[in-house]
Amino acid sequence: MSRALVAADLPEPVATIAAPFRVDYTYVAGVGRSTYLRGMAEGRFLARECPGCGQVYFPAPEQCARCLTGLLPPSEIPGTGTVSTFCIVNLPFPGQLFTPPYVVGHLNLDGTGNRLMHRIMEVEPADVTVGMAVEPVWAPRAEWEPSLASVRYFRPTDPALRAPLPAEVVPAEAAPGGADA
Amino acid sequence: MREVGVVAFAQSDCLAANRRDDMADILAPVIAAAVAEAGVDRGEIDFHCSGSHDFHEGRTFAYIESLDAVGAWPPISESHVEMDAAWAVNEAWSWLQLGEGDIALVYGIGRGSLARDADQVSHTMLDPYYLSPLRPHRHALAGLQAQALLAAGAIGEADLAATVARSLADAEANPHAQRSGRYDVFDLLTAPYVASPLREHDVAPLGDAAAVLVLATGDRARELAERPAWIRAMDHRMDTHYPGSRDLTRLETVELAAGRASAMAGFAASEVDVAELHTEYSHAEPLLADALGLGRDVVLNPSGGPLAGNPTTATGLIRIGEAAARIRSGEADRALAHATSGPALQHNMVSLLEGDG
Repeated sequence: MSRALVAADLPEPVATIAAPFRVDYTYVAGVGRSTYLRGMAEGRFLARECPGCGQVYFPAPEQCARCLTGLLPPSEIPGTGTVSTFCIVNLPFPGQLFTPPYVVGHLNLDGTGNRLMHRIMEVEPADVTVGMAVEPVWAPRAEWEPSLASVRYFRPTDPALRAPLPAEVVPAEAAPGGADA
Repeated sequence: MREVGVVAFAQSDCLAANRRDDMADILAPVIAAAVAEAGVDRGEIDFHCSGSHDFHEGRTFAYIESLDAVGAWPPISESHVEMDAAWAVNEAWSWLQLGEGDIALVYGIGRGSLARDADQVSHTMLDPYYLSPLRPHRHALAGLQAQALLAAGAIGEADLAATVARSLADAEANPHAQRSGRYDVFDLLTAPYVASPLREHDVAPLGDAAAVLVLATGDRARELAERPAWIRAMDHRMDTHYPGSRDLTRLETVELAAGRASAMAGFAASEVDVAELHTEYSHAEPLLADALGLGRDVVLNPSGGPLAGNPTTATGLIRIGEAAARIRSGEADRALAHATSGPALQHNMVSLLEGDG
């Protein structure tokens, strides 16, 4: 070639190709997780205790992840608890159920030893504190499913701390089950 | 080289579909059995390494669920390979060779039953530009390889059927086998093709299972096991990703890995008493035996091999465990374990094991 290549000499690059794939999977929840998931579908918090170390799990697996011992039969807990830690979500993202800002917390459910992650709503984000008592707010009964989505959010137990839900909240019936917090 | 040996091995039954247990629950009793066999306390395990693949599980980072079966409390030293757990053995073996610790636990979990249609998964494991858009049938590449071997005169269809008949008969003595039984070669040859010249029985049946190995070094291994199965050498080689660039009738990767492993071990691959081969298809057995130089005196896949049960990413690990079991029982002095990954035997690992004389 008598001259240097310039961009116009090169073929038009292929920028994209379509390579879609779809794979359908069977979900096997397992015996332990099924206990918790069925409880959610029935509007109940079912926790399980380790006979070895006394740790109480919600959600509970089939065996204690510390002792590797099988957990005791499930027992119902009220689902009330306190805020262990929290953060205020300010970023919008696809699949979000609530318009930011809103609060996501780690909750110490009464009678359990692990933290549960969930939304904290019906409260001004600025009023949320570590140690604040919270209670679960269930989705309408018709919407209960074997998922933590049956609990729409937690709210302050003290009515004085409550604020109205933001008007922008996506109606629950339009929200996909199990969407991200 | 440090002496690194298998001191315990346990595996679950291979089920066509386990709908009862999640990943942790399939693993938990198998880990407990292997740890009990080794006679070690959990706290004495210096390193945990595992293998599984999200394509089979249908979730990203699926393997972290398995840590609930290991007990990551207090926190543990841990690693994972996104492939067959035979490569997790390789990582743990290397880790022990480096003197990082004395005891390692390796586990593999494979759930072939979760994807509802294996054809939906198989093409996603191929490159997205050349092969995946063609949506090859899950057995298409293996069929090309088997047909090429047939055309080259390396094997006949009756050889494939004979391999299947022998494997499934041997599997009758394997309580974990998914498939076993006595079959007549001529009856097998009347079955329809799934990817000519391969028939359904030529394909290792996908299933769900877990397997666990405990490795230990030198005198610690001798304390824990009467006759440790020393892994004298491991080597793995990978061929190019595009099958069209390869001579599918020749496994240069296996020849190289075996040569390298032999030099490391001090004995040839052909000098073993027993070989457990990761045969995802029946035609892989004569192809591998030829590449490894295995004579007729070498017992092939006495467990029944993958043709009796193929729990995806646990299958290669089980080959090492089964080979080690023959040494630990005294049935064999030297054994070979082979593991594969990728389409049409693209990536191959050869392990050479030996018992104390």
